Amino acid sequence: MNIKKFISKPLAVLAPFVAASVLATNPVMADETCMSPYMVKIVGQEDFVYVWTLGVEGLGDGQDKMVTVDVNPKSEHYGKVINSESVGGRNEAHHSGFTDDRKYLWAGGLDSNKIFIFDVHTDPAKATLVKTIDDFVSKSGGVVGPHTTYALPGRMIITGLSNNQDHGGRTALVEYTNSGEYISTYWMPTDDNLQGAHKGGQFADGYGYDIRALPSKNVMLTSSFTGWSNYMMDFGAMLGDAEAMKRFGNTMVIWDLHTRKPKQVLDVPGAPLEIRCAWKPGNDYCFSTTALTSQIVLLEEENDVWKATNVADIGVPANIPLPVDISIQSDDALLWVNTFLDGKTRAFDITDPHNPKQVYEKQIGNQVNMVSSSWDGKRLYYTTSLLGNWDKKAQDNDQFIKLYHWDGKEMTEQFAIDFHAEKLGRAHQMRFGAYSLYGKQAKVEQAKSPIVAMSK
Amino acid sequence: MRYSGVKISLLLSLCFYSSYGLSKDNDVREQEKPRDFYNSEHFTIQAPEAEDSSSASGNAYIIDGVRIGAGDDKAGYETTGYQTNSVAISARQGTKADLIRVIENPPLGLPKIPVPVNNPLTVEKIDLGRKLFFDRRLSLNDTFSCAMCHIPEQGFTSHELEKAVGFEGRSNRRNAPTIYNTAYLERLFHDARETTLENQIWGPLLARNEMAMTSMGQVIQKVKDMPDYAGLFEAAFDGKGPNIVTMGKALASYQRVLVSGNSAFDRWYFGKEANAISEKAIRGFNVFKGKGQCVSCHSVGQKTALFTDNMMHNTGLGFKRSMGKEPDKERMLIAPGTYAYVLKSKKALVGHPPIPDVGFYEVTQDPDDRWKYRTPSLRNVALTAPYMHDGSMLNLGDVIAFYNEGGMLKNESNFPNVTQSPLIQPLGLTEGEIDDLMTFMKTLNGDNIAEVISDAFATPVGDTTNEH
Ligand code: HEC
Ligand code: HEC
Repeated sequence: MNIKKFISKPLAVLAPFVAASVLATNPVMADETCMSPYMVKIVGQEDFVYVWTLGVEGLGDGQDKMVTVDVNPKSEHYGKVINSESVGGRNEAHHSGFTDDRKYLWAGGLDSNKIFIFDVHTDPAKATLVKTIDDFVSKSGGVVGPHTTYALPGRMIITGLSNNQDHGGRTALVEYTNSGEYISTYWMPTDDNLQGAHKGGQFADGYGYDIRALPSKNVMLTSSFTGWSNYMMDFGAMLGDAEAMKRFGNTMVIWDLHTRKPKQVLDVPGAPLEIRCAWKPGNDYCFSTTALTSQIVLLEEENDVWKATNVADIGVPANIPLPVDISIQSDDALLWVNTFLDGKTRAFDITDPHNPKQVYEKQIGNQVNMVSSSWDGKRLYYTTSLLGNWDKKAQDNDQFIKLYHWDGKEMTEQFAIDFHAEKLGRAHQMRFGAYSLYGKQAKVEQAKSPIVAMSK
Repeated sequence: MRYSGVKISLLLSLCFYSSYGLSKDNDVREQEKPRDFYNSEHFTIQAPEAEDSSSASGNAYIIDGVRIGAGDDKAGYETTGYQTNSVAISARQGTKADLIRVIENPPLGLPKIPVPVNNPLTVEKIDLGRKLFFDRRLSLNDTFSCAMCHIPEQGFTSHELEKAVGFEGRSNRRNAPTIYNTAYLERLFHDARETTLENQIWGPLLARNEMAMTSMGQVIQKVKDMPDYAGLFEAAFDGKGPNIVTMGKALASYQRVLVSGNSAFDRWYFGKEANAISEKAIRGFNVFKGKGQCVSCHSVGQKTALFTDNMMHNTGLGFKRSMGKEPDKERMLIAPGTYAYVLKSKKALVGHPPIPDVGFYEVTQDPDDRWKYRTPSLRNVALTAPYMHDGSMLNLGDVIAFYNEGGMLKNESNFPNVTQSPLIQPLGLTEGEIDDLMTFMKTLNGDNIAEVISDAFATPVGDTTNEH
């Protein structure tokens, strides 16, 4: 992979958006490839993985926690949990994201609607809880289920999954300052109020899930999952509940990045979840995958309008493998797709984005959810939990973090930490940390050639 | 819902191969051919028969500017032609109504509201009860009010779930019933275990799988600590603050005035307005009284009609759930008009087994009461889907089809359902009679629905704030 090739141009484009401090940072660069383009990245060896972990009633202290794992092979604690910060309650810990300066990690609770803010720069070896936002619902005007916490310059934009009126899927985006002050709520377009957006197909459900920004095109893209009642309920009970099964998102929305106004509502049936955008300049497209219909969806612009196209099957859709997390390689050549129910990870060659082809497949566990890749694509971390009440029951309920090395052809396991044995809980979202991000003395060798990989 | 059961390749390709969004090429569908896996026995796409899409998802409509039905309307989701009909959360705005007036003037078709002598209705109590009903802080983690399961625009039930889901997503085994006309119920809950609206509140407040408060004292203290309740209890209850009794009285007072009558049926039957309902609905009422024997349990009196005898009956459904054979695979919707099959064995990997339910027996411990449930009122029934104690029937068609077959007298292994009501027998209703009956049941909507919803919308939802 040639990093130089794609770091040359984008800085100019970014200049108006990026805080000077970000550029000044001497970075190492980690699922680094899903980070906001407004953020400095770890392109060398990451020192830590922060695992946002769901408490399990009756296991350990029974509450949610941010677990810090030491992942630097040079460290004596390599592959060990070195810190665990409990936050109180089972909040349905789910996703987390850094502020653009990468000093704070915001982690949401999909049930309690709390947002926990961890300091990761004072001591990167210890993600420490410094602030809890507990009035997200009232402040936002009724948004429930803070999901993606995504960095924009000086701001955090948070996707909701539900609302405080029917616990269904209609929801909004909510914007905060980096210091945790509420700014505004942007409701997803609904039929009675499309807010100027063009409804291109049959659906405008008002649902939300993930968000990504593509500054080069001045757009934000959002996807759509389901409301509180579904994401919180017993998965088996839901599959048997014919009404619940009608409450999944079938849309993606294209937003104007600057004005935060919805521009287009696209039909993408079957619950499109994670969104990952390509990194190379000129590769102005993004991928998503649909949880229920098992499709890879390509989002691209054509004659100034965005369109969504199903470009490949994931596994055998008939068997509902349930695609969950995805990770794009920083050279836009590979897309990793995890399928929860069969516990597999699959690599798709996406060099032709219109024609993804599966080139590799591996069993990770009885279930698998998240995958996070280092910037160079050589290290892939996996965790297992999807949602507290959706995870498999009894002996199939694996809970771990595993690291694999990927040499372009084969994956080899490096370490695994059993989150049951460690009495921690359900391992969910992973974010990478490194000393060198903060100009701190790494206890280990620095990355060889630090590069700020800014894109678009 | 009836489906032809034919595998249709065109629909398959439509579901998976169309180019979504603003693609100019609208006809990719035709060019694409289905792939092999669609022939998999697990995955069949079926074409629904024409225009059968009445389901719990309802068909939202507007009266007096108030949307009746879920803000997220899923009517027709079973078909590939489904189109959303969603409304913004911010459209949830309303006007406070004079709910107490029903006490002097019960609506046509309904008797005087029974009010306990020690809890006379006052505006202050109703207002306080309403505030409590919509307050999510009354749960252990501030996420559940009564109204999260009894959603006003969804008939004070939930169209979105067959069975309720509570605190931390814990499963309930039953469907949330409507609050409309609970004032007239002589015993509460599907299994009749509770006696009064005043007492009833402690069920959901303390249930682990509903609002999950850990004790009565904790509830009382929590309310005392909320600054926005300062003085409200004292004003409503002669100086008494929040306590076990005043909490019950306040919530009961709000629910008690949610009576709803003067339906088209009432205007025809009791009001003698000849044209208030259609010929078809009148034929349906005749089936209801006659061949269908519905009226023996869903009572209609001389001057008023509660459409319930307040009694316990085994219709065969509870027996079927407990003693019947579960299918090895179930068909489920995975996107509009797109179905897949899920195997029982696969479902078991990700789900807990269903919670057992033996009905009234659990209250009396008398084997004669196995699988008996209280007859629900049928007032507003068109607005309160899905139906029955377990929400398993999505639309009125399903319910009538069930009665028409005569319940379930024995299971697949010939185990007899000895407590099934003798009134439940195969009815031999014709398609036409079924249709008429359905039309009749849709004439039972009260005339104040829009007003009550609007009044509910005018009430702020109680969520945690740091404003004080
Ligand atoms: C988690 C969802 C949920 C919440 C929250 C909830 N309910 Fe219910 N409600 C139900 C279900 C389910 C039933 C039926 C239970 C049964 O029959 O066992 C029910 C039954 C009732 C009934 C009896 C109606 C009848 O026809 O017998 C009343 C009255 C009622 N609830 C009022 C309330 C009040 C008041 C609150 C708040 C204090 C509340 N509910 C909170 C789900 C809920
Ligand atoms: C033996 C008494 C009895 C007879 C006869 C009877 N019902 Fe029922 N009905 C019940 C009971 C009891 C329930 C509740 C069953 C449950 O929850 O499982 C019920 C439930 C219903 C419901 C669901 C209401 C809701 O809100 O969930 C409808 C609709 C209904 N009946 C219509 C009819 C019609 C139409 C007929 C005539 C064809 C009829 N019933 C005959 C006792 C009766």
